[in-house]
Amino acid sequence: MTERLGRLPWIVPLAVLVVLAAATLVPPPDGLTLAARSSDGAAAVRAVLDEVPAGGTVTVGFDPDVGTYPEIRSATRSLIAAVTARDVTLAFVSLTPEGRALLVSERGRGMAADVAGEIVDLGFVAGSEAALASLSARAVPVGGGTAGGLRAEGLGASDLMLVIGGNDIGPRTWVEQVLPRVGPTPLVAVTPTILLPETLPYLETGQVDALIGTPGDAAAFIAAEGGSGDPVDGDRPANALAVVVGLLMAFGALGHALVARVVPAARLRGFDAG
Amino acid sequence: VTGLSDGVPGEAIATWVAALVTLVVLGGLLGERRLFGWSQHLLAGLLTGFLAVLAIREVILPRVVEPLASDPAGRPELWVVLAVGALAAAAPWVPRAVAIIPISVAVGTLSAFALGGAVVGTIVPQVAAAIAEPSADPTATAAAVGSAAVSALVLASFLHGGRKGRIAAAMSGAGRWVLLAGLGGWLGYLLLSRLVLLLDRIAFLLRDWIGIGA
Repeated sequence: MTERLGRLPWIVPLAVLVVLAAATLVPPPDGLTLAARSSDGAAAVRAVLDEVPAGGTVTVGFDPDVGTYPEIRSATRSLIAAVTARDVTLAFVSLTPEGRALLVSERGRGMAADVAGEIVDLGFVAGSEAALASLSARAVPVGGGTAGGLRAEGLGASDLMLVIGGNDIGPRTWVEQVLPRVGPTPLVAVTPTILLPETLPYLETGQVDALIGTPGDAAAFIAAEGGSGDPVDGDRPANALAVVVGLLMAFGALGHALVARVVPAARLRGFDAG
Repeated sequence: VTGLSDGVPGEAIATWVAALVTLVVLGGLLGERRLFGWSQHLLAGLLTGFLAVLAIREVILPRVVEPLASDPAGRPELWVVLAVGALAAAAPWVPRAVAIIPISVAVGTLSAFALGGAVVGTIVPQVAAAIAEPSADPTATAAAVGSAAVSALVLASFLHGGRKGRIAAAMSGAGRWVLLAGLGGWLGYLLLSRLVLLLDRIAFLLRDWIGIGA
């Protein structure tokens, strides 16, 4: 059997894709819906949003990366929609080319189109850490509109900073470069799961005020905001079942690799002992 | 827009192109390497083109050329920026000692900001928060002591050279296992992120392109 599979190496990957495709289409049972669980992160994000004053300025650091954005896309859309519903100036800035490309794409799809306040696009700023330090310490060159206090004070004029993070620039960079320069300002982050180990310590110390860092947090936030609660597919039913099936297959592959390594070694030791 | 049904032509074409490229990438998983390699070249080319457009439209023109054109004497620092940029572009043709200047400035600046930020924004606040203090809550005290123990073990795993006693060797070995456990946990997070990406592409093919379950 193993020899036959070895001659057809594409069979196993194809089977994995077919199983995942089937799991994507099957509605998950009630107990497996991501939005069903409570989330401290989602509640904390909503509490921070409620503290933003009318007419205030919200700066959005939009730097997700293409490889992880699908995981946080729905939460990001929902969060931006929740902010734009308030009477605030919304300023977008990107420090990575990928983040800029994704922002242009999202704006093209209508993100922040129905804004109650003013939209300011600070564009792409080159220089990563140095650029963030510069934006924090100096007046930001903003064309047109009132642009909150950004024109005079830089990011220090923000009443809230939203960081949509990716592998290159995320909440850690904002905590390190912006917060020490602008003083205590609420910071909310949306990150893929891979950044959770890096971001949780900042949440514990209060440097990050609230975090949507897991598909469960994302689903809970979207559900609380009136969406479907699916972090992967926008308004479609949650496919947590497919996530669980995929994880089980991954664990199976790990177990198979482990057995394939341990059993021959044990046999070899047995022969040696004999 | 569902690619196989009626829709706005432009969006339908975009869906078809995205679906075909997604199939090519998934084909790499099944062994079709030639088309997969071609798709990698396509991605690299598109990224390079996008970077060039971004650099020209959002950095070079508005932040360097236009301010210099409107007030050449008023922004002397921009002439320095222009000179450093020209040096970087001319690196293959100028002496090595001159060519390394722009790279050195870039690397030095980025390192300085990264290091300074790490100390002020991460190390000092995190160490302050991790210091074990007497607390009425035994769980908090235990967590702080546990954090200190894990930090000590991981640091011990980096002890190299010289003869180690039995205790130091045991700590070093335990630290390596703690480090491996941390790496394993991180790979678990990575697995979830990549799995969601794969599911997103499968859902795109099924729903947006073919129209199943849309």
